[in-house]
Amino acid sequence: MMDLLDRYFDAIRRNLPAGSSTDDIVAELREGFASLQDDREASLGRALTAEELSDLIKQFGHPWVVASRYRPNQWLIGPDVFPFYERVMRIVLLVIGAIIIAAASLAAMFGDQPAWQVAPHAVGNLFLYGLVNAGIVTLIFAILERKGFPADHLRRWSPAELPDVADEQRGKWEGPVEVALTLVFILWWTGVVRWPFGAIGDGFRLEPAPIWAQLFWPVLILASARLVHNLIQWLRPRWKGVRGVFGLATAAGALALLAVVWQAGEWVIVVSTGMPEDGARSLQESLNLALRIAIIVVGIVWTLACLGELWRLVKGARGQAAMA
Amino acid sequence: MAHSMTGNGDLFEKLRIELRRGALTLAVLTALREERYGYTLRKLLEDSGLPIEEGALYPLLRRLEAQGLLASEWREEGRNKRFYRLSPEGEQILAELLREWNKISQSIVRLSERTE
Repeated sequence: MMDLLDRYFDAIRRNLPAGSSTDDIVAELREGFASLQDDREASLGRALTAEELSDLIKQFGHPWVVASRYRPNQWLIGPDVFPFYERVMRIVLLVIGAIIIAAASLAAMFGDQPAWQVAPHAVGNLFLYGLVNAGIVTLIFAILERKGFPADHLRRWSPAELPDVADEQRGKWEGPVEVALTLVFILWWTGVVRWPFGAIGDGFRLEPAPIWAQLFWPVLILASARLVHNLIQWLRPRWKGVRGVFGLATAAGALALLAVVWQAGEWVIVVSTGMPEDGARSLQESLNLALRIAIIVVGIVWTLACLGELWRLVKGARGQAAMA
Repeated sequence: MAHSMTGNGDLFEKLRIELRRGALTLAVLTALREERYGYTLRKLLEDSGLPIEEGALYPLLRRLEAQGLLASEWREEGRNKRFYRLSPEGEQILAELLREWNKISQSIVRLSERTE
């Protein structure tokens, strides 16, 4: 029977947190158990049977549970940290999901793989990247839990940073989705991910017109500024002035770039890889005509967006003046 | 008990455990105004209507000692035992906690009288 007790207390000892005075803890637990056993045997007037001793050990507690109670932290993420953890986890998973789905959609539309091959790959990526990032977020918040993040943050936050009631009318996921889509665009533009140019059809290949290479840096700067604007709109809705300036500047910049793009007159080149030259030329003309229409539509939309930003900026300035 | 006969039995048990968790620390500190070792402390708590698992009591004692509220020493009494008692800092904290406990108790009584 001593063997059973030795094994039990040894199991507790092995699971005690590193750095604790294990011998001292086990000696105390052992003495506590011996007192319990003495008491039980005194009430029965005889020694415990092996089965009764086993029951008493179970009553004392599972070795992992008993040992874990000596840990300074009894939970991975506590109730104070959990609301922040949950929110960040949702955002991270949503942004990753949006990027993977957007990338897969573009690959299916313009890439050289059919949709039925792209879809399983995208689902695999969703699981893999979702799992890895969920693990990373959990690890970061478990560390924050131990570093006292909630107490520190809850002391420093200011109610004045809360968004206006009107700001809350934006969709809950609008901000993260805008950020994700702008990121996808920047990744594509800088060549980190590649589609649709270089994509092939039956006997031809699509290539960008020279205007796009000329506008590489202006477009990248504009997209980066838009990313900053989207981040402010999402995470700091009270920074209305900065947001308005960024919004107006990026909308005006986009219109200016669009005017330059329009003047180029040709935006895509069809290179024949087997199809007749006449056919390639005809296809190129059709595609450029479609793009011409698209540029007009985008121009109208962006002009309206620009006017909208201007209106919001003026309205915000009037509101502040009225409050003053 | 009626609640254990209903679907609310689990909920009651959960709330009861939450309620007792804070009270147990206070009970341990109160009981240790007199020097005791683990087993006699557990018996005293049990006899007073506040049973606590063996596996939970000893880590609690260690935590309270690490927080400076208890002092302890090993002493031979039949077997070698670790005796705990309230430290001077523990006495001060206990007095404040008891005042708080009484305030909470009086508030609950007042609230329950008002709603009856």
